[in-house]
Amino acid sequence: MKNNISKHKLADLFVLACLFLLVCWYAYDAYSASSHISNLILIVPVTVIVLVLCIIEFIRMFAIDEVTEQDPVTTVLPVILLFIGYVLTLKWLGFDVGTFLFIALFLWLHGERRKIWVIGYSLAFATLISLFFSGMLPYPMPMLVLSTAY
Amino acid sequence: MINFEDLYAGLSLLFSDLSLWLIVIPGILIGLIFGAIPGLQISMAMAIFLPLTLYMDFMQAMLFLTAIFTGGGFGGSIPAILMNIPGTSSSIATTFDGYPMSRSGKHNIALGIGLAASCIGVIIGYTLLLLLIGPISELVLKLGPAEMAAIILWGITLISSLSGVNINKGIISGFIGLLVGTVGFSEAGVTRGTLGSVYLLDGIPAIPAMMGMFAASELFKLVNTKYLVTDKALRKVSVKEILAGFKMAFTYPWVLVRGSIIGVFVGAVPGVGSSVANLLSYIQTKRKDKKPQSFGKGNPAGVVASEAANSTSEAGSMATLLALGIPGGGATAVMLAAFAMHNITGGPQFIREQTDVVYAIVFANFGQAFLLIILGLMFIPLLANVVKVPMNYLVPSVLSLSVFGAFGLTGDLTGPITVMVFALIGWLFKRFDYSVPAAVIGLLLGGMAEESLIYSYQISGGLWSYILERPVTMVILVLLVLSLFGSKLVAMLTRKVTT
Repeated sequence: MKNNISKHKLADLFVLACLFLLVCWYAYDAYSASSHISNLILIVPVTVIVLVLCIIEFIRMFAIDEVTEQDPVTTVLPVILLFIGYVLTLKWLGFDVGTFLFIALFLWLHGERRKIWVIGYSLAFATLISLFFSGMLPYPMPMLVLSTAY
Repeated sequence: MINFEDLYAGLSLLFSDLSLWLIVIPGILIGLIFGAIPGLQISMAMAIFLPLTLYMDFMQAMLFLTAIFTGGGFGGSIPAILMNIPGTSSSIATTFDGYPMSRSGKHNIALGIGLAASCIGVIIGYTLLLLLIGPISELVLKLGPAEMAAIILWGITLISSLSGVNINKGIISGFIGLLVGTVGFSEAGVTRGTLGSVYLLDGIPAIPAMMGMFAASELFKLVNTKYLVTDKALRKVSVKEILAGFKMAFTYPWVLVRGSIIGVFVGAVPGVGSSVANLLSYIQTKRKDKKPQSFGKGNPAGVVASEAANSTSEAGSMATLLALGIPGGGATAVMLAAFAMHNITGGPQFIREQTDVVYAIVFANFGQAFLLIILGLMFIPLLANVVKVPMNYLVPSVLSLSVFGAFGLTGDLTGPITVMVFALIGWLFKRFDYSVPAAVIGLLLGGMAEESLIYSYQISGGLWSYILERPVTMVILVLLVLSLFGSKLVAMLTRKVTT
């Protein structure tokens, strides 16, 4: 248990450090683009406040020993990776096939073993939603099987 | 105040031809559907159906468009309550207590409360509009960029200090949101934070980012649950409970009235209105409540406060549109286009010369509120069935729906990619107690905050003393400080008095 808490705190520190660095980088990027006041009027004061608060939070994290119950990352990670894969392959697989594969794989990963449900639901949902949106939107959607016309 | 001759003329305009009302029912249904589907916006619905108004006269067009607006106002609260997905930024506060209510099996009650608060909000809001359209438009004209900047900062600070257990992290989230909201081209004509990507020149698409942070990140959290409502007995759809929820909203009369007043006045502020009004109303309600700790865990008053304010902010934004010709957001911008299509220009002259039309629009909204009650009560039981869908089917379906919706908003894959990136950020924020609502509000208002500060700087010539000449700005800044340190100050003073 103790090992888990310290891991969580370590991850918390890592996220805080990332935010700290992100804010520093953004302020630097904005300053490099232009040091004119109209470019920095909001960015500089907000950056200073965030950095000060990050330092306070950093100190506070060490001072207080908080116990936070969290779901293990291992159960969420496959879903996150699947979602990333779905979005990044939309360009090639299109919304129709991409959505079908995403839903079917998700169902399979989460214990649905009835093939008729896995294939049937994924196919029906992907087809209906693709047809609905391609009909509603005034621009073409990437599709592999269905028509991209609108 | 009210010109009764014009009032009578307005009523005659509305009721002389009852066929005018036939257009209201499809309008409300379109609004409900577009509001209830994550990713489809009310402004999108209005824009899609705008060409239809070419075949209508001006009054009919206004009835149709305001019906979509009214239906969408409540429609947006349906995914906010059932799936923690605010359809628009004006439904953000609805998720705070509406979603916890759903998760504890009180989804029917929450939806009933949302419907009642929305409808009463519309009625109170338009009544206030009827009485105060003149003073509201004068007040809005007095709000300069300094006041806008102060309102935005106040809104961010309030929401940052409100959500989550760690105020420090809440403010960090809100202010990082503000920074992210300024990515892209600046007023100085340079680009910031784009990493050389042309897709980010116009900034980060705010609504897909909001969908990712709220919806997708929440769905990641729910992948290991079987159903939205764990207890099978609570997973039922009950019209009786929806009606009980509807009645329950009336047991919070002050919350309704306060939310409506906040909604009208804050909603009238162009751009900021609807996003901040629901949060301000929620925060005030939480502050005044005897058990503020119960908020965020499924307190019905939270839903009433948010829904009353967001539906009245519609009346507020209509006040600005009618009296000044300034659209407060996407939906009123489409309405302005409808004005132009019918050769009508909003503004003081319009209010003076076509007062009967203004009154007719106000009364049409009263009628729409009553129709919304009927249509909403028919529509809610269908949608409430979402709680019966197993999570392994619901999660991928809603995730793909948000991806489709995001594509619809941007027209290219920037939208889906934004959802993906912000889903991960949202998940991390939730996991480590950062405030997701604060970050989202910051993101939505970052660009506007910067613009307001630049204009204030240009007007003032860089002199700080300019703020001292703006009493409204001073009041808002004092409120901002009080919202951060007020309770600590009171505690300190009380301690000194007692010792």
